Amino acid sequence: MASLFQRRRNKATQTERVRERKHEGFLRYAGFRWAKISGGLCLLIIISYALVDVTPRHNGGSWYGYTLGTIGAGLILWLTALGYRKRKMTSDYWSLKAWTSAHVYLGLSLIVIGTWHTGFQLGWNVHTLAWALMMLVILSGLYGVIVYATLPAALSNNRDEMTQMQMLEAIRAFDRQLHSAAQPLTPADTAPVLAALDEDPFAGGIGARLSGRYPNCAAAAALRTLAASQSSDAAARDKVVGLLKQKVAALARLRAHLRLRALLEIWLYVHVPLTFALIAALSAHIISVFFYW
Amino acid sequence: MSFILRRISTTKTGKQIVRDQPLPGDMITLGRDSSNIIHVADLAVNPQHATISSGDGRHVRVAASEGLGFDLNGRSETVADIDSGAGGELRFGGHRLTIAREGENVILLVERIDELSQSSKDVDEAKAFSLQGVMLGKRMGAWAFGLLMLLAFLVGPIWAWYSYKNVDERPEGFHADSTWLSGPLSSAHASLKDDCQSCHVEPFVAVTDTACVSCHTGEHKAMSTAHAGAPTAMLLAARAPDGGFDKLLANVGEVFNRPQGRCVDCHTEHEGAGPMPATPQKFCADCHNGMQGRLKAAGHPTLLADASDFGTGHPEFRPFVRAAPGAKLARAAPGKGTVDYNGLKFPHDVHLQATGGVARMAASFRGRYDFGQKLECENCHRVEADGVRVKPVEMERDCAMCHSLAFETVGGTTRTLRHGEPDQVVADLTAYYRSTPPARPLQLGGMQRRRPGAYAEGQVYSIYFNEVAVRPSRAQDAVRAVFSKGGACYDCHTIFAPQAGNSWRVAAVSQTARYLQKGWFDHDAHRETDCADCHTAATGSKTSTDLLVPGLRQCRDCHVGESGARLVKVETATESPCAMCHEYHSDGGQPWVPNRQRKVNAAAITNKPLGATYGVSLITGAGGRSLYKVTWRTPALHGASRGG
Repeated sequence: MASLFQRRRNKATQTERVRERKHEGFLRYAGFRWAKISGGLCLLIIISYALVDVTPRHNGGSWYGYTLGTIGAGLILWLTALGYRKRKMTSDYWSLKAWTSAHVYLGLSLIVIGTWHTGFQLGWNVHTLAWALMMLVILSGLYGVIVYATLPAALSNNRDEMTQMQMLEAIRAFDRQLHSAAQPLTPADTAPVLAALDEDPFAGGIGARLSGRYPNCAAAAALRTLAASQSSDAAARDKVVGLLKQKVAALARLRAHLRLRALLEIWLYVHVPLTFALIAALSAHIISVFFYW
Repeated sequence: MSFILRRISTTKTGKQIVRDQPLPGDMITLGRDSSNIIHVADLAVNPQHATISSGDGRHVRVAASEGLGFDLNGRSETVADIDSGAGGELRFGGHRLTIAREGENVILLVERIDELSQSSKDVDEAKAFSLQGVMLGKRMGAWAFGLLMLLAFLVGPIWAWYSYKNVDERPEGFHADSTWLSGPLSSAHASLKDDCQSCHVEPFVAVTDTACVSCHTGEHKAMSTAHAGAPTAMLLAARAPDGGFDKLLANVGEVFNRPQGRCVDCHTEHEGAGPMPATPQKFCADCHNGMQGRLKAAGHPTLLADASDFGTGHPEFRPFVRAAPGAKLARAAPGKGTVDYNGLKFPHDVHLQATGGVARMAASFRGRYDFGQKLECENCHRVEADGVRVKPVEMERDCAMCHSLAFETVGGTTRTLRHGEPDQVVADLTAYYRSTPPARPLQLGGMQRRRPGAYAEGQVYSIYFNEVAVRPSRAQDAVRAVFSKGGACYDCHTIFAPQAGNSWRVAAVSQTARYLQKGWFDHDAHRETDCADCHTAATGSKTSTDLLVPGLRQCRDCHVGESGARLVKVETATESPCAMCHEYHSDGGQPWVPNRQRKVNAAAITNKPLGATYGVSLITGAGGRSLYKVTWRTPALHGASRGG
């Protein structure tokens, strides 16, 4: 008997090893277990919605509506708990990957649970507000899943085996070289170089971060000015121009990196605050129902 | 006096090493160019930036040479005189020049204080490379949005409720709790849109009946006497025991302070603008399905038959009839062949035959009356102004076209016997025979003399005058003839012969205005259907005691249960919940149905063939009057004034 369990456990360990070797992400976790569960749940709701006879018509206030609403509200609170779970290191059976997988797929099923809970009756009220916030949270999460699946490859390609700090260090090195190389230049030529040195590589608002466009880049401007300048010693200037070219390239790599990271992170700035707005609106929605029972 | 350039370098352990270097001359130059005495490798410093000199060995003059100045105590200067004893700090680009005095010497301390470039500054990797630096924090946003939601949609509405807690009617305008409105109110309640408290009086207490009847006073006094007057125990016994699931729902409702059996159980609200939805069948069938047995078992025996669904479980109609001549109106006993004594003799079959005397007579009247080749229902029966019921037949209007009561013509005007007044008929006939001589024979005409012995003429003479003498007594015979078999009255009425102290009498005629008292039938709603489609027995009816009110079977030709349940094959089904015919708040009027639903139902039966109607109009032309050709609709009458 004992050997039987032993063998079974060995097999389980082996399966786990295979999984890890193939790098099974949270989307494919356990052979799409949570996708299947959540799909089945949606199907169950859509079919039972059609079969259950609610008079005069489906709405959130029927027994069926209350059931869906309770499931939905519970699910929303559980989904929010991912933020707590991911900060808590455990070695439990429920790995963070499993938790994330369930979070994603059950979160998507909330589209059906929440919308079918409304009975397709929407209006300008706190009830529909809660639904709209829920949909925004889900859609931002969907965006997050998509970028997590697609952007890391681009991020890796752009990094070219450098770390973030190495990218910054490269820029610092070019700055130091520029500073000394620009010493012989005339004041007219040093001004743009000085501006390029004075430029913060992390400057630019959220728009620049997301678009990756920096039209007022001082390094690029310095490169243009010095390439056209005639005033200083040609050899010194050529050296500075060469260095500026390298700095512009290094800046471009850093900025592409920042852009990809911004695209990877921006959804959380919608997802998380709106989740808490949703929980507040959901509380108002539930309390209002019982208040004006 | 001499200038000393001091440099300070810091070792890795933080220890400072000070190195002094005396500078030659009284005029010290400072700049980026290496030819300067103080060479500052700083791009923000000009090649020849400034000169430092001292006239008296105490005051130091710093003068900028090439346009670019320097900062002295935060202000931009081109020339500055500094008392070296007091000391001073000057700033050239990213470097600081400190002037101090030690003994006889002026110490010049030059240090780089700014970073070489922006990128050289220390960064917090986690922050700089992420969006943390450029976005408002997530936690901040979460708090801000969450509190905003709670304030606007929880605190605001509760405050609105609290501030109007003891107010009868809220003033116009926006109230924060209108954001809680879960759906538009029905049109009848639309004005309560901003006044949640008119129904939701207490917080966390489900809407009570008290809230409803504080406005709805009239309807609920009249609310179905059968239901309102019944003892509560009986009403509870009537209810079908809840199945497992319904019981669970009821229990859950109780736990959440939402008791069963309130007005709003049936009259649901916030289901969208428009009329309130009609009461669904379930709310009747909950009790009436299998109720007889339950009530009997509970000690409340009832004659009410069970009803569950019009298509499958509905008792046979029990119309209001007179079961014997002169009997009182009563609902027909269930399950028996029904007769109705209305006092008339009227064979429908003879009148509706396509051939025969009646049809021939009707055809001969074409042009004078709206008759076709034969009589149709609508030739004699007319609808009430509102179209719901059929008017009682009136002799003068509906029969007299053929059944004339004329007995004399005076100067082209026809005199008729007075209908409905037998004594007047007797008097008129008596007067007629008294006042008119018999027809005068021709032989008695002229004034010429006759010879005596003209016997034959005398025979006529004596016969005539004998007749004149007995003429008034002939009236008795005529009266008897009118009231006897073959006479005008006897044909249609039951006649009682004169008895002691009485003259001829006619049995009273009673036409029932509404046979089905418990349900509502609207002829107008069925105007597209031919009469004979439902009144199927009419063409075969030989006697007026035959009740021609259609039975359940005829209704079920089109009408099925609310959910379409049926026992027979139905071509165009009209789904019929209880409320289509029965009114819970039975005031005798029409059951309330939303407008939308009415239209749907009418459409469902329009595709019935109208054969008979076409048949008539083909012969008589478009001018023919059908039962509903007239403009019959008048402003809607109140239910009670329609009778019932």
